[in-house]
Amino acid sequence: MDKKDLLKHIQSLASQKAITKDELVSAFDAGISGDVPEKGSRQAGISDILYYIGGAVVFLGISVLIWQHWTALNSATKILSTLGAGIASYITAVFLGREERLEIVSGAFYFISALVMPLGLHVTFHVAGLDTGSHGVQSVVSGILFATFLLSYLANRKTVFALFNIIFGTWLFFSFTSLIVSGRPSFNWEFSAYRVLCIGLMYGLLGYHYAKTPHRALTGALYGFGVFCFLGAALALGDRRPHQNWFWELAFPGLVFGVMFLSVYLKSKAFLTFGSLYLIAYIFKITGEYFAESLGWPLVLVLTGLGLIAIGYLHFNLKRKYLS
Amino acid sequence: MSSKKNVSLIIGIAIPVFMIFLIAVSIYIPYLFAPAPQYNFLYVIEDGYGQYRQYGVENGTLVKYEVKYPEHQTPRDARLFMYDVSKNKDQEISFEEAKKLKLNANVKSPDGYEVAYGSRDYGFFPLFFSGGHDYNTMYLKGHSASKKLELQSSNDERYYYRNRRFLGWIR
Repeated sequence: MDKKDLLKHIQSLASQKAITKDELVSAFDAGISGDVPEKGSRQAGISDILYYIGGAVVFLGISVLIWQHWTALNSATKILSTLGAGIASYITAVFLGREERLEIVSGAFYFISALVMPLGLHVTFHVAGLDTGSHGVQSVVSGILFATFLLSYLANRKTVFALFNIIFGTWLFFSFTSLIVSGRPSFNWEFSAYRVLCIGLMYGLLGYHYAKTPHRALTGALYGFGVFCFLGAALALGDRRPHQNWFWELAFPGLVFGVMFLSVYLKSKAFLTFGSLYLIAYIFKITGEYFAESLGWPLVLVLTGLGLIAIGYLHFNLKRKYLS
Repeated sequence: MSSKKNVSLIIGIAIPVFMIFLIAVSIYIPYLFAPAPQYNFLYVIEDGYGQYRQYGVENGTLVKYEVKYPEHQTPRDARLFMYDVSKNKDQEISFEEAKKLKLNANVKSPDGYEVAYGSRDYGFFPLFFSGGHDYNTMYLKGHSASKKLELQSSNDERYYYRNRRFLGWIR
């Protein structure tokens, strides 16, 4: 089909109201930004999934092997079958990655190494007589893994490295902050909530950054986890009467509406869905805490129900108008 | 890539790094400016999470209670420890020695410190469950600072389920 035919076809579709101006403009924008669906992408997607499921099954097999024969295996065998297997998978992935046609298989082997290496490091530290549950060992394990995958990412900017950098970086952040605090009584559950808030914010920003890079496959998951953690932590920080935190209780609606507004700008369904769900949770929390006694429980239920209908309407309209 | 294009990446990475810095500052800065604690204290380690208290403080003196345990239960003797805040270590003492001490049973010492249990953090995955107490670690807390106490009894694995209980500040 040449350009003239295409334009005539568009005119005909427009006259039948089978296509809108917005749809046309968004298809044009997608083409400009290079976001074009590739031929055979469905097949590649299924084989990708199979490779990664295979990787997860290999990891499961190694874990069960170690668990079943823990007492029978000597220390060297334990380390060799876990850390050794992880390193071997990594080396295999490097060699497979040199062939362009084996790129996806190479990714699956990196995936295996990223799953098996933590197990291997835990087994190694356990054999060395260290308490693997301590924050010190957790920080060292996550630090080693983070450094390994960060260097790998710098050498070869693969999405699988970016993904595991985020996972191991998050693990390192939680372990290291726990190590610094080391159970000090002034750092209570609120400290954990602030850490989750911080991670949620970080995921959102990373998701936004990756949307413009070849790692945009991570954006949806990062937005989803990010907004879930951020709003969850903000809601938890508001606490409950009589221990409520006024700042977080008052700031929360602003944050939720901010997230819902951002869902339009970022074209993110995760932002809209979690924004709506957390707004519902907030309405339940606030009415239960402050109005159940003064207005009476039945009236509160009526008002909450009306609030839910309003949120549902807002959610449906925003999704239809801006995200479909 | 230009730094303008990477601004969200830079801010995203800077947030956890800044939080780590903030936590370190909030721990170590108050510790530098807090006055040195002046009062030693007495604590007891006993079975049963305080359900059967063998010792208490009455009129500023340590007293021993007669405790009736259920028939099937044979508890071990409670152990008394005096903690020296200047040396940052404790020493086990007998009841006879301890009852000679003049004690202040207030939670807060006259110089503004209190003895508190550490908090328990279950690590990476259960993110919010960090509100429990760790009965093996105790801290001297006050003036926005907290200092971990080196307890002899922490090394005794036989007492892992025992409760450490503050009795009083030594006057």
